[in-house]
Amino acid sequence: MASAAATTRALPQRRTPGWVIVAEQELRDLWLGGRGLLLSFAFSVLLSIITYLTATNQALNFLEQRESVNVTLQVAIAVGSLLTLLAAADAVSGERERSTLESLLLTPVPRLGLTAGKLLASLSLWLAAFVITIPYVWFLGRGVSLVGVALVSGIVVGTLLAVFLASLGMIISVFASSNRVSLSVSLFLLLAVFAPSQLPSSAQKGWAGELLLRANPLTAGEHYVGKIVVNGHAWSEDASWLISPLAAAVLFSVAAVIVGARFMRLGRSGT
Amino acid sequence: MTPAVEVNGVGKQYGSLVALDGLTFSVSAGEVIGVLGPNGAGKTTAIRVLTTILPPSRGSLSVAGVPHTRPAEIRRLVGVLPESSGYPERQTGDEYLRYFARLFGQSRPSARSLAEALLTQVGLSERRHSLIASYSRGMRQRLGIARALVNDPQVVFLDEPTLGLDPAGQRQVLALVRRITAERGATVLLSTHLLAEVEEVCSRVLILNRGRLAAEGTVSEIARRAAAPRSARIRVAAEHVDRARATLTASAGIEHVEPADGQLGSLIAMLNGQTSAIAMNNGLRALADADVPVLAFELEGARLSDAFLAMTEEA
Repeated sequence: MASAAATTRALPQRRTPGWVIVAEQELRDLWLGGRGLLLSFAFSVLLSIITYLTATNQALNFLEQRESVNVTLQVAIAVGSLLTLLAAADAVSGERERSTLESLLLTPVPRLGLTAGKLLASLSLWLAAFVITIPYVWFLGRGVSLVGVALVSGIVVGTLLAVFLASLGMIISVFASSNRVSLSVSLFLLLAVFAPSQLPSSAQKGWAGELLLRANPLTAGEHYVGKIVVNGHAWSEDASWLISPLAAAVLFSVAAVIVGARFMRLGRSGT
Repeated sequence: MTPAVEVNGVGKQYGSLVALDGLTFSVSAGEVIGVLGPNGAGKTTAIRVLTTILPPSRGSLSVAGVPHTRPAEIRRLVGVLPESSGYPERQTGDEYLRYFARLFGQSRPSARSLAEALLTQVGLSERRHSLIASYSRGMRQRLGIARALVNDPQVVFLDEPTLGLDPAGQRQVLALVRRITAERGATVLLSTHLLAEVEEVCSRVLILNRGRLAAEGTVSEIARRAAAPRSARIRVAAEHVDRARATLTASAGIEHVEPADGQLGSLIAMLNGQTSAIAMNNGLRALADADVPVLAFELEGARLSDAFLAMTEEA
């Protein structure tokens, strides 16, 4: 007969941290469940089209080789980090909608661990996107000693932006009343973040224009990649452009973990 | 002995909406207690407060001897099947249980053997490698109960475990509930709408209504407290109806007798509340003496369902 005293049952001590177990399971669901593969396939189709177009333009001398590498890399960074945003935006609101969140909250894994595990798993989409990008960059940049530089700048900037956007998606997902709301708000915010990069070049000049570009993590990161890849600048020469992507990645990831730990709840129906 | 669950004046409020109001009760270790109540009575909120999903707005509680101020410790000691729990469709039953076993601190090998043992216990061992998407509702509920047991809990909370199940599925789930207490010695709090379930498996009952505890006690205690006027339904052969009615009316303690609506041969005898049991015995004896064969007899107002309706409607 079980005693009610808390001390009578020997409970196992967790050997693996909870966030690792959550991340493992999320990775399994994402990749073995097929969603990650499907998104990666769509990404590779898009990148193939972009690469074909840039290679054609390059062959016709409309685009320099460095510029064609830059265009492909910037698309890869933008779309790769978008994928992490989509995965993170589903992380909590999706569980809530599928009525699986309560069971997770009932485990002894702290909510902070649940958030961190889910965040890490969503970042795997960016890593997959980057791996897919490597052969395209190699194809476009071969022969001008550009491939290594492009890939290193791409992984640094892309990872910072992926962390920023995944964290943003996670924060939205924690508060969203439904998965649809979470995905819609995330995409809307992503478009808002992308908007400055579509401004006419005249609007990007002057101190106000530069401030706008520097303050926006996405435009600042892509500007930095462009300076390294197209203009051949040294790593440190334009390092100040990395301030906002780095600050956004750090601030938003810390915020996501804190928000997840504090506000991850069942939602209005389950309060 | 420390009670398995102890609740003192617990309240839960969402803005101006009072979901729980001054709930006080205790549950002994090894007991199966039924939590009854109409929709919106606060059953699910009470379970969520007890399982630390929701903090109480006021009052205090302890589960397995651990106060609610240490929620992580409580979560290690309880197993919960939430109401309308969802399941990841693309996982197999085995993967699902192994995942939860690991979240509760089991190593990979022990999670594997635990999942296997639990799936056997709930009768899903043959389907352990099938996707949950292919499970019936009853199988999912049994899987949910298996998940609630991965941490060998001291207290198990089952929120509407038989909701939407066919009679066979309901029987399987109830059999599992009995085994949980018999084999594991765990305390079970069973929230349900189905009174027959409670009568079948629960030693005690809590009736909630509008967030308050309307009644508490054993099934028979609560049934005895029913506020509904007591009556008896008697069925005799159609040719004996008039004689039966006259005999019963003349019997001591029976206030009046009337034919049951639209049922040939059925009579309703209204009994004196104070001496209803004696009155009915007298009535039956009088019928026997008058050579009126009784085909069916049922005392109304002495069942849990009557008590439930009386207590919840009254409030």
